[in-house]
Amino acid sequence: MNSVSATSTEPWHGRPARGSENHGQNARATSTWLVGLLQAGDSFYPTGSYAHSFGLEPLVQEGVVRDRATLRDFIFLSALPALRHTELPLAAHAWHAFGGANWSRIGELCVLSSALKTAREARAASENIGRQRAELMATLRAHPLAQEFLTRASVESWPHSASISAALEGRVLGAPLTAVLAGISYATLSALLSAAMKILRLGQNASQSLLTEALGASPALIAAAESTPFEEIGWFNPWLDIAAARHETADARMFIS
Amino acid sequence: MPSFSGHLSLRAATRAHGRTVLATQSFRAPYHISKPYWDAEIRTLHVQVVNPTAGILAGDRLESEIAVDAGAALLVTTPSASRLFHMRDGVAECRQHFSVAANAWLEVMPEPLVPHRASRYRQVTTVEVEPSGELLFVDQLMPGRVGHGEAWVWDRLQLELTVRVGGELALRERFDQSGEELRQLAALAGSGAKACFANAILIAPAAVASGEPPWRAQLSALHRDGVWAGVSPLRRGGWSLKIVAPDTIHLRKTVREARQILAGYFPRLGCDTRKL
Repeated sequence: MNSVSATSTEPWHGRPARGSENHGQNARATSTWLVGLLQAGDSFYPTGSYAHSFGLEPLVQEGVVRDRATLRDFIFLSALPALRHTELPLAAHAWHAFGGANWSRIGELCVLSSALKTAREARAASENIGRQRAELMATLRAHPLAQEFLTRASVESWPHSASISAALEGRVLGAPLTAVLAGISYATLSALLSAAMKILRLGQNASQSLLTEALGASPALIAAAESTPFEEIGWFNPWLDIAAARHETADARMFIS
Repeated sequence: MPSFSGHLSLRAATRAHGRTVLATQSFRAPYHISKPYWDAEIRTLHVQVVNPTAGILAGDRLESEIAVDAGAALLVTTPSASRLFHMRDGVAECRQHFSVAANAWLEVMPEPLVPHRASRYRQVTTVEVEPSGELLFVDQLMPGRVGHGEAWVWDRLQLELTVRVGGELALRERFDQSGEELRQLAALAGSGAKACFANAILIAPAAVASGEPPWRAQLSALHRDGVWAGVSPLRRGGWSLKIVAPDTIHLRKTVREARQILAGYFPRLGCDTRKL
């Protein structure tokens, strides 16, 4: 006979004891947001991100990223810092704002996300993916938070943002902040490496090795991003901005950005 | 070493004869200004902001406020690079605010910032432009005293730029990288150990409304011989022009060429920055 009461907790960490009613509820809640985040982060989820290289294609055209070694440099010197200083803090602030229904802050974050991207293609990529993510959340989940966000974004002319829509997904699914930021990190890096496989001589094993290495750096980035003040959001890579600007008028290209 | 709490306030306005004058001015060391020069042909007032001290030192607090009233036209330059000196302790901070009223023009074209070893500096720039105002703002950065073999060795360098057009946020940029991070990016891009940057913002809402500008392709053509140059429209009212050059000489030449190209479409840029 199980002597553990329905409300008892395991003494060493205060979580509901295995087999208790609360443990079952928590496990179900965790499973709910976890499968939701897995769905939203999967390449099968139609966000349109497969059509973007997020600045990689123009850097390949410039001869900066040429092979596995230079791709690794690009990931560690540019993609991860951009996540750390811009996209993850934007999502973290948005996650808190959605939780408190702080709509003025959400509007401010949407505009900031757009204003931080000087190259039109980078802005457009984030806006298109962000809009699609928010609309999918409203359609698939019929959640009032997603529907209200879409209504307010339309009325107030807020630009959409991939990171802010990811925070919305997290709130709709009931996911904790760290999991939301981990999801963004995975989606960003996997999309970049997926694009890299189409542009460079890079096999699946090599790209998975790079992805594994980059994801290994993610927990530290996530922890730092969670405590980044609003006024410190932003990062600077003039080469990426210039390459993205030049990609807008490139004669030949495979990706939208 | 004593530190400064510098202050500069300028307001340019038009008078009945159509000339732009400095309607109000006040400044405190280390700021000083030149005698303004009215370029009658270009119809722009040129003012040079001078720092008569050797450069910026630990503890310096600099605040400037430059406003251009409706219909006025002002060019602000500096005669020499702004050196950020070695700071044993403390930091230096500069806050600058520029505002451009309706049908007014402001060009801000200072000489580059040169961060020395162990310097710590924060520069906060805010720009506000009315929907029919126009502005060219250029910030240039050297990696250090490259002539002495000293580059990318500042302690902390924070450069923040916020641009609003008609009250709406058009651009927010934040530079807060270590010298080592930037050196590695420069190496990856092939720009070398002496890479220099120019960050230009052109605000011209009326021109934006007329679609793809003819000068964009000309500016893009500056991307050659190791120089990177890219132009892209901002989310509101203007364009971003970024230039990375392998050294100071190439950067100066490219910025000068970019200004000449734009002068064909924005005649106020015909004002000679070296007149004073």
